[in-house]
Amino acid sequence: MAEVQLRVNGTDVRRDVPDQTLLVEFLREELRLTGTHVGCDTSQCGACTVNLDGVSVKSCTVLAAQASGGAVTTVEGLRKSDDAPLHPVQNAFVQCHGLQCGFCTPGMIMSVDYYLREQPKLDDASICHALEGNICRCTGYVNIIEAVRHAAREMYPNAGDAATEAHQR
Amino acid sequence: MIGQPLPRVEDRRFVTGNGQYTDDLRIEGGAYAAFLRSPHAHAALRSVDVSAAREAPGVIAVLVGQDYLDDGFQGVDHVPTPIDAIDATKKAFLTSLTGSIFNQLHIPLPVDRVRYVGEPIAMVIAETPLAARNATELIDVDYDVLDAVVNAADAMHEGAPQLWDGAAGNLCFQTQIGDRDEARRIIADAPVVVQREFHHSRVVNSQMEPRSAIGAYDDASGTYTLISGSQGAVRQKLCLAQALKVPLSQVRVVCPDTGGGFGPRSFIYVEQLAVVWAARRLGRAVKWTSDRSEAFLSDYQGRDQIIRATYGFSKDGRILAIDNEWIGNVGAHTVSYVPMSNGTRIMTTVYDVPVAAVHVSAVLTNTVPTAPYRGAGRPEAHHVMERMLDLAAAELNLDRAEIRRRNLVAHDKLPYRSPMGLTYDSGAFEHNMARALELAGWDSFDERRAASRANGKLRGIGVANYIESPVGAPRERIELTVLPEGRVDIVSGTQSTGQGHETTFAQVVAQHLGVPVASVSLRTGDTAFVSVGGGSHSDRSMRLGGMLLVDTAAQIVATGKQVAAALFEVSPEQVTFDNGTFIDSGSARRIGLFDVAAQIARDGVPGDAATRKLYAQAEVNTRVPAHPTGSAVCELEVDPDTGIVTLVNYTSVDDVGQPINPLIVEGQVHGGLAQGIGQALSETCYVDRETGQVLTGSYMDYGMPRAGAIPPLKLELTEDPTHGNPLRVKGGGESGITPATATIFNALADALKEFGTDELAMPATPKVVWEYIHRPAA
Repeated sequence: MAEVQLRVNGTDVRRDVPDQTLLVEFLREELRLTGTHVGCDTSQCGACTVNLDGVSVKSCTVLAAQASGGAVTTVEGLRKSDDAPLHPVQNAFVQCHGLQCGFCTPGMIMSVDYYLREQPKLDDASICHALEGNICRCTGYVNIIEAVRHAAREMYPNAGDAATEAHQR
Repeated sequence: MIGQPLPRVEDRRFVTGNGQYTDDLRIEGGAYAAFLRSPHAHAALRSVDVSAAREAPGVIAVLVGQDYLDDGFQGVDHVPTPIDAIDATKKAFLTSLTGSIFNQLHIPLPVDRVRYVGEPIAMVIAETPLAARNATELIDVDYDVLDAVVNAADAMHEGAPQLWDGAAGNLCFQTQIGDRDEARRIIADAPVVVQREFHHSRVVNSQMEPRSAIGAYDDASGTYTLISGSQGAVRQKLCLAQALKVPLSQVRVVCPDTGGGFGPRSFIYVEQLAVVWAARRLGRAVKWTSDRSEAFLSDYQGRDQIIRATYGFSKDGRILAIDNEWIGNVGAHTVSYVPMSNGTRIMTTVYDVPVAAVHVSAVLTNTVPTAPYRGAGRPEAHHVMERMLDLAAAELNLDRAEIRRRNLVAHDKLPYRSPMGLTYDSGAFEHNMARALELAGWDSFDERRAASRANGKLRGIGVANYIESPVGAPRERIELTVLPEGRVDIVSGTQSTGQGHETTFAQVVAQHLGVPVASVSLRTGDTAFVSVGGGSHSDRSMRLGGMLLVDTAAQIVATGKQVAAALFEVSPEQVTFDNGTFIDSGSARRIGLFDVAAQIARDGVPGDAATRKLYAQAEVNTRVPAHPTGSAVCELEVDPDTGIVTLVNYTSVDDVGQPINPLIVEGQVHGGLAQGIGQALSETCYVDRETGQVLTGSYMDYGMPRAGAIPPLKLELTEDPTHGNPLRVKGGGESGITPATATIFNALADALKEFGTDELAMPATPKVVWEYIHRPAA
């Protein structure tokens, strides 16, 4: 067993779990934070994407014990509280119809949030590159790409043209 | 409200992580299941020794197929033959040249033989998922490996490995539709004959939510409960009751949020049956969740249809007759014959074909069973038709748009009855193609081809026209209740797997009852309150559900008028209903819809004091003729050095009928298109032809479309109204996918025409394209 201490969405938690427990299992099974999903077993689909110590990670590929001592933000923690307005990326997905079945959505949102905070280039190629690790079967990605731009406009209201450019390839 | 691009009301829970998919649910005291799956495509099970697994830590039970039979249960009847596309009182296939239509009941774990790689053999139930999984590795199976056959045409050969007793020659059925002799006579005299074989490739469904199922059993009432995402709870309930030999009242199916459907999840899976069976045996709830590797080996797959087409043309390019041979790969179990039914019905598509015949064979192979996959036979049929028109145009030296114009069903011929018996009531086929060609810049393409050429690239353009058929389960039900507290409750038989019913159904009701969208809520997916309904497939939800929403809303208004009339002491004819309010046209007195509901809760309705709810229900069990139609153009570039295909742009003009929510309709077109592009260019479901081994078993091998797969789009909605339903709905779920592989392959053939006219294999991966370009001359 491994002792895992994490700050998850601003709350400190401590659990003893089997050594092989993945971070995603820790979040879903121990903490019942089921917004983080498991869509594959080869680290391809990105449905399990969370933020660990400021970096976007696939939580199916990190042991809970490895993450111990760190701070995790999941889709449930993007807003300060349950009655707070939606985070700009969450809102952009709604406004742009960037989701259908919703299963890939939490991972998409976490990836987009990280991307827009780190390096918000908004041409199609840059956005598609940023989304390479997140798979969606429903939307064809068209409206997800739109949602990235929509969120960027809200997150960087003074960025000018960069955030409002139309499709570029 | 109808026609407005409203953001979806269900999205809030999904974007905040509050969706509730099956694996998100935990049953206290529940146990976990894992399945041992066959590593062989075909093998006799000499023995299955589970003794070591039973002793493993945390293991509660290990079950095999014989246990299921010993418990007195039977296999699931998947009801593989669908309801006819025209007459909802009969089946699509009634007779077979083999004597009967084969339908093998599907037991959850086989007792004699395994028939595909990934078929479950034994089920371990343990205290944790890990303990269950680890124990599967302790099961000792003695296999007698048999020859396997995975290609449907191979399986029809004499001497091919045989899958099931009762299906000689691996044929589930074989049937002739249309007059083959007449078609052959005409083709024999035709000035131009085009022949070609197409293999519309197999695809993996790959919904993002891995399947999951929770089984429970209540001893006191003898009730089984299945909690599991699917495309329709009612069908699952019927199947479970039949397999478990209990009345329908002893089965409840609950469908939480479902992470994508696309067709295969309409049908029941053996794992869903196994968990409820195990729950009864163990007296505990049992949960199973697939991982992605299992999904690649066990989720029902799509397509895999071989069509050998023979078309006779006149000198001026008119189709004189079609004689097709259609070979459908059913896989190892008789789950569904829908693709063969849909594909042959729509075979002549939007063209005025005088004589058409098709010989259909449904063939068992050592592969994952196939099921309808978005479009289900219609993309295959359109692929063949549209490729054949391009081939004929080349032979006749005709423009590819012109040969289509000459064959399209003219608008003044509507209603038009196709040789396959479908009656198209609407559809501006020629206009749609003209518009798509105009939007795509078809006439100026040669300049762009030359520019690409100058850059060392091969540019091509292709067009395809499409039409769909109004199939799927014909039975549907809606219940509508207006509640005094200011809410309208819809109970619908059909349910969403991502299509946004909570929004669109609310839009329809809000419009017809004059209430805010936010006041309308939709309940679905639990047979505790849903008695009838066919689920989401075949564009049926708004076509059938919408009709019933309009019907029940009208009933609500009629009842409300009676109540208002009694209050106003006037005749109901004197009461009008406008924007949520009943008005006495004489005195102008008014009462709101919700106040009427409150009045009924207090005093009942006039002449019926016992009815205390403003409630209506309606049911349908018939075909509603509605044919979504449109035209698509694809322009692409091929890099001859690498074989990489880049879609440059894609145009689609779609007549979905009246769009209830254009935002959602466009999203449906995008999604269907991505699946079509994936099948055409990257999604290789590669099963080794000799051994039946699956070589594309993960997202590392299988070419799932990623962001960027869809090129810049020009989408336009159009409508030539249908009168078959009050909302003029035709359907939008399959618009993107139906013409997609045809359009792309026509564009590819155009780009590669200097390298000959052989058919490219599907999917046209860079390897396929490069080898085509560099193949030795014939």
